[in-house]
Amino acid sequence: MNGEDLEKILERVRRLPDELSRFREMLLANVAMITEIPAPTFAEQDRIAFLEQRFNECGLQNCSIDEVGNGSAILPGSEGAGTILLTAHADTPFPASINHTCTIDFERIIGPGVADNSLGLAVLATLPSILEGLKIRFRSDLLLLGAVHSLDAGNQQGLRFFLANSEHALTTCISIEGVPLGRLRFRSMASFGAVISCHVDRKLSRISAIDVLNQIILRLRDMKLQEQTNTELVLGVIEGGILYKVAARNARLKFQLRSDSDQSVMEISDEITGILDEVNRQIGISAHMNVIVRTRYGGLDSSHPLVSMARRVMRIQGVELRNSIHSSVISGYVEQDIPALCIGITNGENLNDTDEFVEIEPIMRGLAQLIGILLAIDGGYCG
Amino acid sequence: MVNIHDWLKSNTFHHGQFWNLLRLIEEKEKRELTISLCLPTLNEEKTIGKEVVLFKSELQDRYPLLDEIAVIDSGSTDQTLDVAASFGADVYLSSDILPEMGSKKGKGENLWKAIYQLRGDIIIYVDADIKNIHPRFVYGLVAPLIYRPEIRYVKAFYDRPLALSDMIRPSGGGRVTEILVRPLFSLFFPELTALIQPLSGEYAVRREVLERLSFPVGYGVETAHLIDVYSEYGLDAFAQTDLDQRIHRHHDIRDLGKMSFGILRTFFKRLEEKGIVHDLPELTANLRQFQARKDRYDQVIHEIFDEERPPMIEIEAYRKKTGLNGKGSG
Repeated sequence: MNGEDLEKILERVRRLPDELSRFREMLLANVAMITEIPAPTFAEQDRIAFLEQRFNECGLQNCSIDEVGNGSAILPGSEGAGTILLTAHADTPFPASINHTCTIDFERIIGPGVADNSLGLAVLATLPSILEGLKIRFRSDLLLLGAVHSLDAGNQQGLRFFLANSEHALTTCISIEGVPLGRLRFRSMASFGAVISCHVDRKLSRISAIDVLNQIILRLRDMKLQEQTNTELVLGVIEGGILYKVAARNARLKFQLRSDSDQSVMEISDEITGILDEVNRQIGISAHMNVIVRTRYGGLDSSHPLVSMARRVMRIQGVELRNSIHSSVISGYVEQDIPALCIGITNGENLNDTDEFVEIEPIMRGLAQLIGILLAIDGGYCG
Repeated sequence: MVNIHDWLKSNTFHHGQFWNLLRLIEEKEKRELTISLCLPTLNEEKTIGKEVVLFKSELQDRYPLLDEIAVIDSGSTDQTLDVAASFGADVYLSSDILPEMGSKKGKGENLWKAIYQLRGDIIIYVDADIKNIHPRFVYGLVAPLIYRPEIRYVKAFYDRPLALSDMIRPSGGGRVTEILVRPLFSLFFPELTALIQPLSGEYAVRREVLERLSFPVGYGVETAHLIDVYSEYGLDAFAQTDLDQRIHRHHDIRDLGKMSFGILRTFFKRLEEKGIVHDLPELTANLRQFQARKDRYDQVIHEIFDEERPPMIEIEAYRKKTGLNGKGSG
């Protein structure tokens, strides 16, 4: 490949949104059908089965579901010049019991999980048909992966398992999220997410577990967090007690600690353990911490060719880049030392609420940017 | 009388039996059938977009089962028609079809005019208010007609779990079915009780049957169809397919009262026409309901007519369009 080829690629990228418009209903149909299959973390099997059905219908190779439940397939390239991994997480934060139906109007698709991440998964399901329709064939193999057990306590288990056990020589990975268009994440912060659980033995103490948790929160807020490593403590979920007039026996706090430094995270983690040890000295009180998620600091530099090329393709599509460059999903790739990006397909709002929605109109530009980045990777311009 | 047990075994399906769409399409082509989908609408902008997107993408673009997707609208005041058209459906105002026949109010009017407007040898009707729409709503209904030439009319029913335990559980339709239609069928047409949801708005029918049916334009259209098709062809002409679950808007009890009234009028009319009952008094079109306001009770009178459209085959414009003139009415 040479510079002329790159210009051809970029010229094609400019035309792509128009070429893609004929696939709009196919993609929207997949978004709708995927949204309506419940897939809470650790119970994504029905959604993965649908994805596999789609892969089979497209005639992909090696359609399979691995032992943790990931669904994958290969769109073979013309030369087998390495393997590009394209992945989207299959799970949602919604329990199976809620109404999962979605609606489509002129401008939006509305329903629980459409943005996070039915649209991402629908792109995986539709892309083989789109590439065939556009007569685009990569030199590299394209490995498509619907990853399970990603969110919250899932801790990217599916992706991690796949990366650790895949026999394919993965050259580059792209992780697809439904929103927002302009997302370009290529670094992972060091972090850990944990649950602190407090329990009060009623035979020994009258104190409310909520008061105990409050003591702990005050101590957490007193900790010195290093500004130079952007270390930050986020208190995400709190729950406790049963009745308003009865002192709570149990209370829980879910939080995340994140930083530019693995060392800082480790040190603060030790400090929190020390705080809990002190709290546990009170009679009748027990407090302990379970770590549910860990990510490592790392990723690509801003000047890496993959990042630069992604920016260039996005600019061609008139996509406005978002500021944040960090995503926890990148951590899995950092652990395996594989260059990776995370991008979004369209705009949307009300994330993780039942009235979550994505905008239809920008989707074709989002798809064009994805295909453009894939063409550039395949052309050898990103490594 | 057909053995209902045998009929249930041979003519009751689950949509999962027809998942192989490639085979279904092969069979459709072998039999040289054309298939039209009709979505009758009145202010369905919230649900019509998804229905059109799913059916067009899955059953036209990906698997070419449907030759035509048409929305026949009763005069929506919302964006139903624009939304449907924007996603690729053919849209028609019911009043624009056969304008010389005038325009009547009711879903049955749309279904009847669809026979004139659409091209298919088979027409599938699917209500436009279904929230969990899925391609199975179409292929589950049309497949028995494609595979079994002797079947003429396929009805949908819902909510039978795939995995059945040995436990006995009631299986049936909605409120109007269970407290009105099934008791009436039990009294006068016992074989028709085998249809689990006789009032479901989703069904697929061969054109040669549809064009010979008269159509009540209001609530009685499904009941009339069943009685008329049964009288002409017997129970073996029917099949029914379990489509699992249907999520739709809930009708309040007063609406069900109106529906029941319309069905009863149609039912009595059919009984009289077929000589099953005689000398019925003239039936009023007034349904009386009551509403309470503090300590006062007010009567609310609803006029519910049971106008009927004649069999389409009797309409000159249809005979001309389909080349039936000169062939006789068969």
